[in-house]
Amino acid sequence: MKKNTTNKIKLGVFISIGILLLIVIIYFIGERQQMFRSTFRLTGVFRDIAGLQTGNNVRLSGVNIGTVEDISIISDTSVEVAIIIDEKAQRFIKKDAIASIGSEGLMGNKVIIINPGKGGMKRIRDNDVIATSLPIDIDSILTAFKKTIENTTSITSDLASMTKNIESGKGTLGRLIMDKEWRENFEATFINLKHGSNEFRVLMEKANNIDDIVVSVKETIKNTAEITANLSKITGNLEAGKGTFGRLLMDSTTAINIDSTFINLKEGTSGLKTLLEKAKTSWLLWGF
Amino acid sequence: MGKTISNKSLSVKVEPGNPSKILADSVFKNFFIEVYSMTAFTFRFFKEVWKPPYEINEILKQSFLIGYKSLPLIAITGFIIGLVLTIQSRPTLAKFGAESWLPAMVAVSIIREIGPVITALIFAGKVGSGIGAELASMNVTEQIDAMQVSDTNPFKYLVVTRILSATLMLPILTIFADVVGLFGSYMGVNIKGNVSAHLYFSQVFQSVTFEDILPAIFKTLFFGFAIGLIGCYKGYNSNKGTEGVGKSANSAVVFGSLMVFVIDMIAVQITSLLQN
Repeated sequence: MKKNTTNKIKLGVFISIGILLLIVIIYFIGERQQMFRSTFRLTGVFRDIAGLQTGNNVRLSGVNIGTVEDISIISDTSVEVAIIIDEKAQRFIKKDAIASIGSEGLMGNKVIIINPGKGGMKRIRDNDVIATSLPIDIDSILTAFKKTIENTTSITSDLASMTKNIESGKGTLGRLIMDKEWRENFEATFINLKHGSNEFRVLMEKANNIDDIVVSVKETIKNTAEITANLSKITGNLEAGKGTFGRLLMDSTTAINIDSTFINLKEGTSGLKTLLEKAKTSWLLWGF
Repeated sequence: MGKTISNKSLSVKVEPGNPSKILADSVFKNFFIEVYSMTAFTFRFFKEVWKPPYEINEILKQSFLIGYKSLPLIAITGFIIGLVLTIQSRPTLAKFGAESWLPAMVAVSIIREIGPVITALIFAGKVGSGIGAELASMNVTEQIDAMQVSDTNPFKYLVVTRILSATLMLPILTIFADVVGLFGSYMGVNIKGNVSAHLYFSQVFQSVTFEDILPAIFKTLFFGFAIGLIGCYKGYNSNKGTEGVGKSANSAVVFGSLMVFVIDMIAVQITSLLQN
């Protein structure tokens, strides 16, 4: 009888521990799925969820604060994702928060990353719709990476041919590095330049006051501007046929008048010429 | 048939028939007879289980023998499986640089599949053969007949109690095996690494979900039921003779283990169907 009771106690302990372990396991799993905490719900509409699954984590500043509860396709370009978030994290998420889909690693699970939004905005509420941004697609990264590699290949091949040319002494740089005569010329040029710059410096020091020079240069520029303005005015007038020159250049009547004046003058002068020749032979003016 | 062959004077007149055909016929007949009697046995269990008296004391006694007494064996097996699985998986995961996934992977393997199935196989080996041999020897020594004469329902007292105990004890043993297996895995992780128990178990619970653990525990009810039922059936219907005891014990283990895998296959299909 005593043995029977001991066996019953042993069996009771065995069953109790077994059930307790099951409860502990269920509690820990439930704790992970936010089952025993007060939570709130948010929804977000994504264009592409990149393989996100229910149960995936939701992160705020790298901390797991919730899980994906439900995923449903609402149209051909939009997928609605419902997430459950720990109420403790609610005060950090503002109305202008943005949810995006990231990855735990190159081969890891997908996660929803929440950008909490600006400090001044109101807190997000239960059942609010959160703004979303497009997930970074590994395929697009790989495509961009491929392009970069292609570019790098062409750049390196160009560099290779350049270095080859330099080594064989082709081009300015190549001759500079490889040709002794060129290098000496270059060195001489640099020495001359150095001298020149030294002299220029001395010259500048000799100038009493750089500011004065600058001011006078400024004035010169100002005057030049005025002169050019005047010039443009004059040319404008000229073009419009104003003034003597303008009329000379642009007015056809004046031109004709001038032409006839010149013809008259010419005729006049030729008449004068014959008169003078006649006068030379005239006895009246003998002796002049 | 044996008569026809042994009687040489009549063998000319009687058609001997195709021996292989006769053998196939008898195998088929035996198979279907077996299926029938097993189904009848199962129905009888479900009929008897609701009827009083409930034999609570006998159920508790059997639970103690089947459950509590199996714990050391199950715990050692679970520990070794957790340890070995971790050590074996490490090189493969290390190839991908994913050693940090070791706790998650091993935990899901143990809780979903290895824990329940290994526990059920050990259970079939220890308990299934035990029940088969016990009932067969009772049958041989005509104790079952004696019970019937003394107005005790032997089916109720011997079969129903054992099947119920096996059905209820296997899930509890599986939970123990899972927990001990996870501890074994924790030690396996720490043989070549340095992971704190807190980090290890937080990684474990991060990867395990209710969809992993609940169907796994639920299916062990069916494993336990099948092992208990087959053990009892084989023992209860054993041949009268000493070789019948060994045969019953043997076939209880073989058929019980096979049924564990068959049920596991069905369970995994149903689980994956429910998850999608």
